[in-house]
Amino acid sequence: MESAIDAVVNIAVPLVLLAVAFFTGRRIERRHYQSIRARENELRMLPAVTFRQIPSAWVVDSFGVVSGSVVISIDYFKRFLAGLRTLVGGRVASYESLLDRARREAILRCKEEAHARGYQAVVNLRLETTRVTRASKNNRATAGVEVLAFGTGLELRRDPR
Amino acid sequence: MEFDGRLPREGINTSPEHPLREFALLVAGLLGAVAACIAIAALAIDRLVPLVPPALEARWFGGWLAPGKSSDPRAAQVQALLDRIASHWDDRPYPFRADVLDEPDPNALALPGGTILVTSGLLAQVASENELALVLGHELGHYRARDHLRGLGRGLATSLVLGALGSSGELVAGLGAFAGGVAQRGFDRRQESAADVFGLALVQAEYGHVAGAGDFFARLARWQRDAPAEGRRLAGYFDTHPLSEDRVTALAAEAAAHGWPTEGRLTPWPTPAPE
Repeated sequence: MESAIDAVVNIAVPLVLLAVAFFTGRRIERRHYQSIRARENELRMLPAVTFRQIPSAWVVDSFGVVSGSVVISIDYFKRFLAGLRTLVGGRVASYESLLDRARREAILRCKEEAHARGYQAVVNLRLETTRVTRASKNNRATAGVEVLAFGTGLELRRDPR
Repeated sequence: MEFDGRLPREGINTSPEHPLREFALLVAGLLGAVAACIAIAALAIDRLVPLVPPALEARWFGGWLAPGKSSDPRAAQVQALLDRIASHWDDRPYPFRADVLDEPDPNALALPGGTILVTSGLLAQVASENELALVLGHELGHYRARDHLRGLGRGLATSLVLGALGSSGELVAGLGAFAGGVAQRGFDRRQESAADVFGLALVQAEYGHVAGAGDFFARLARWQRDAPAEGRRLAGYFDTHPLSEDRVTALAAEAAAHGWPTEGRLTPWPTPAPE
């Protein structure tokens, strides 16, 4: 009987957590993608490019560093799936969408900052990814990832379009 | 040079596979692999165990829990009973020792090297010597089938497999342990009934009847059914000795098959101290 209770605690409780994490994680991801697509469309005509040199046709009035960063957490379901993946190898598909969202969100925030500050373009755009670790004892688990996008915002005399 | 503001394409940096499909495949694969590993290890151990000579086993494990360490006064009585029961096993491989473990849950364990541990909780529940004789005979049956070595080998194999999974998270390890437990269950039941049959034969040889022998198991089974609180305390015994009323009926059927009398005088327990 005790073993039945143990089985419930060890198997059923994590399964319920997995189901909850699956549905909430999926909902959050769907809404995030909707927001990303809408904002990408809005800021579509503001170039954020990796050029290190300003094209000679551009006349720059002013410039400054712009950046956007985002921290996205792994959910319980994705972590479990990735844990199983580490046993057999292969693409960790559950993290791919997470990092895709984080990169696009960081670039968007970088562009939003540039736009708010009156720049018409961002050049020399760079991305950096950092693992955010949990501070609790005995826990090596990753709490999430930070993606930072930064570059040089340019105020141009004439629109690059 | 034109900047035309094309939007990112979806599905290049992400995989289209549905996460639940991946989940189902990986979990099924993990459970299957763990169960298969442990089942293969158990089969290999079943083949290897008969090849270990008892003399070698006694040398490996003989030093475990040397006699005389127990402070429980009942240990000597249990030892005396064990000696009488074991004397009916003609080709017993080595001398057996009995000791009492101070533990409220009723249980009995056969350790490698010939040491049988009986918990004080079990001694408190025993109503006649005949009952205790069957418990001891049952453990001797495990020695005859060398289940104690199997158990040791399986435990080792299971912890090796689960240890390999240990680094991949609690739930993964939990699922692995579950699969391992299921894989072992089938082996355990067969071993328990074989040990019962041997124990019953020893009881018959000692007393000339098998009366009272199954009473202990019957009482445990009744408690398990009727008194949940009492039943939980007995969970330890059920974990290592899968027990049901079927087992009691199997004992009765075994006695009937050999024509062993099920009526007879019960010897009281504890044995009255000689004054």
